[in-house]
Amino acid sequence: MKRAMKRLAVFLVAVAAFGQATFPEAWPSYNGDYTGRRYSTLAKINQSNINSLSLAWVYRVNPGRAPQAGGGNVNTTIKGTPVVVNGVLYTTIPDHVWAIDARTGREIWHYAWASKGGWHIGNRGVAVLRETVYVETPDCNLVALNTKDGKEKWHTQICDLEQFYYASVAPIIVSHNGANHVITGVSGDDLDIPGYIESHDPDTGKLQWRWYAHPEPGTPEAKTWPSVEAMLHGGGMTWVPSTYDPGLNLLYFGTGNPQPVIAGQGREGSNLYTECIIALNPDTGKLAWYFQPSPHDTHDWDAVQTPVLFDGEINGQPRKLLAQASRNGWFFVLDRVTGKNILSSEFVKTNWTLGVDAKGQPIPNPAKQPKLDGALVTPNQGGAMNWPSPSFNPETGLFYANAARAWSVYYLYDDDDKPEGWGGNDRSGVSDALLQAIDYRTGKVRWSHKWPGNGGGVRSGLLNTAGKLLFAGDPSSNLVALDPVTGELLWHTALHTNITNGPITYELDGVQYLVVGAGDTLYGFAMRAR
Amino acid sequence: MRRVIVFQALACAVLFGQAGPYQRQEVDKSGVDRGKRVYTQFCINCHGALAKGTEQGPDLIRSPLVLRDRLGDQLGPALKKLPNHKADLTQAQVADLTHFLKDQVEATAKNRNPEHPPNVLTGNLEAGRAYFNGAGKCNTCHSPAGDLAGVGRKYNPLDLQQRFLFPRRSKPLQVTVTLAGGQPITGVLERIDDFSVALRDASGEHRTFSRDSRDKNVKVDINDPLATHNQMLDVYTDQDMHNVVRYLESLQ
Repeated sequence: MKRAMKRLAVFLVAVAAFGQATFPEAWPSYNGDYTGRRYSTLAKINQSNINSLSLAWVYRVNPGRAPQAGGGNVNTTIKGTPVVVNGVLYTTIPDHVWAIDARTGREIWHYAWASKGGWHIGNRGVAVLRETVYVETPDCNLVALNTKDGKEKWHTQICDLEQFYYASVAPIIVSHNGANHVITGVSGDDLDIPGYIESHDPDTGKLQWRWYAHPEPGTPEAKTWPSVEAMLHGGGMTWVPSTYDPGLNLLYFGTGNPQPVIAGQGREGSNLYTECIIALNPDTGKLAWYFQPSPHDTHDWDAVQTPVLFDGEINGQPRKLLAQASRNGWFFVLDRVTGKNILSSEFVKTNWTLGVDAKGQPIPNPAKQPKLDGALVTPNQGGAMNWPSPSFNPETGLFYANAARAWSVYYLYDDDDKPEGWGGNDRSGVSDALLQAIDYRTGKVRWSHKWPGNGGGVRSGLLNTAGKLLFAGDPSSNLVALDPVTGELLWHTALHTNITNGPITYELDGVQYLVVGAGDTLYGFAMRAR
Repeated sequence: MRRVIVFQALACAVLFGQAGPYQRQEVDKSGVDRGKRVYTQFCINCHGALAKGTEQGPDLIRSPLVLRDRLGDQLGPALKKLPNHKADLTQAQVADLTHFLKDQVEATAKNRNPEHPPNVLTGNLEAGRAYFNGAGKCNTCHSPAGDLAGVGRKYNPLDLQQRFLFPRRSKPLQVTVTLAGGQPITGVLERIDDFSVALRDASGEHRTFSRDSRDKNVKVDINDPLATHNQMLDVYTDQDMHNVVRYLESLQ
């Protein structure tokens, strides 16, 4: 207990020192730290010894034969980033959490939630605070488990399954001035329902606040909707974990597509606060600022991609920055204090805008909105980016995205004045998978690596380390290490299937580990060379 | 009290026939038809033909009460309380009404698929022909009397549009691998990534060659006839697309 508390204290002190936060013995949250950079200061695995990296363990999740309500078959794909605290690694699939020995890959406990339904599309992982593990379930619950044995402490409802919500995101713990928050998000766009984000008491699960992804009726922002009815049913789900700046005490996250998803004729206007990068005060849930990457989206291009926080230099001046490679193919650099746009550029070529407005927000081209006879659009619905995590390397100043250049035709199926649900869809065509290294100062792609073979569909997140290595999954089941400066391929190993989550790293007993998930299996690599 | 218990027992019996209290109500098709008649008689004027609401009455597909309802357990009591609503519907009528409304909900939730194939024949045939033989340079590789003869008969217009933009490979991709100082080896590409290339050679043998970005000794050439098609995606306007599809459809 004392040991755990001591480590927690180290964790919290490290968190407070923004920008220099390092957790060599842990990967304590979805992104490893509050910044979302996915940059580790560990360098025991490095360019000079990467060929000595060895497989330490393999762990395959086995959920058993538990019945699956509402969401079809058990989805055993590991889409979450594992969390490592005090030598224990926590990994998830929908309705299931496993605690695994981070040194040996041996199971410590397995928790199974008896599901009542909801989409079982994926789970992004857990949050850990002191002796509690937090996880969301597809049937709209936040569940708190004991780290020691996986026994449930409590659960609380965070959304309404009846309205076709479901939950998949990894909760994030925010600790500020002695106050703790468990930040949760929601998913679901079958029906027209509003998205929101919540904060819960870590000890009891009690709701602290809820922030809806729409303005208050009567405010100027509400005029971005044709009616209160459209606005209150306008979507904006919150299904990728937040980042946080303790110094500014601001929580950052993206909101998803407006609803109806494809048929936008019943919601003319920019549809705030869907498709936005949002900054909130985590103590109150009060909005600080917003920036909208996809005003009036009609292509399902959720702007939920991790808002990555770093301190940089713009025109010779030190700045507190936030960057996002958005699903719509655009890269944005913002001042994270004010939300003001510094730079907007395409990180893959797109064809859906008429340029950017005075705020740096892309202007959608009406000709490229879904049409009854089809509109040829790039990117496709899967997007130029999706949920797989980007990474920022402070040594290279480059922002890395495992991206896609993809085409499809968007069809409008429902031309009613008041469509509901989706009202259209895309039919996919071709896709190239590209690893893009973007210079945050210019927005230009410094280098690009096209993965050969099967195009598109890369669902691997990225990891940078001080060992001057960039880890990525390719579309051909390889785990690859690249030189982050040049993109040169330095090392690879073939797994049994494509990587399906973000790689993590941690050091225990002087050994640096690298863990990736591919399908239902975690692969743990270790550097034992001295 | 006894009536309540009997009702609850009945409700339970009906519900157990369903998937469970948290699962969606299973829609009964005959109930939908009966419910539609109830809806048309008593509800349609205010709530609209598709239950999406009007100025007189709210959207029932988006109604949390309707979504949470199971066979009238919430709708029934609500109808009795709400002003200007039909309070004397029988329990069976209310249950039928929920089947109709739940059917509308399920249809909305599946509204990402078309009821009918979209009409993509909106272009100009002659403009399509001109593009085919002119700016599009389609006639460099294709001809209406040759490989495209009868293509408008072979595919429905929607598939024709998708295939014109994103053609499928008609022949396996050929790859030629040349090792330093060696003879080129050509075969059918079986697999390629940054680290190896595998082919099946003319004798039917499966052969794999390692490749490494730092070792330039392995030269890999792939002649992809579809590469030009993919490049054209940046060139076509939507009007070109519709015109060419109209022209291709005429090739009966």
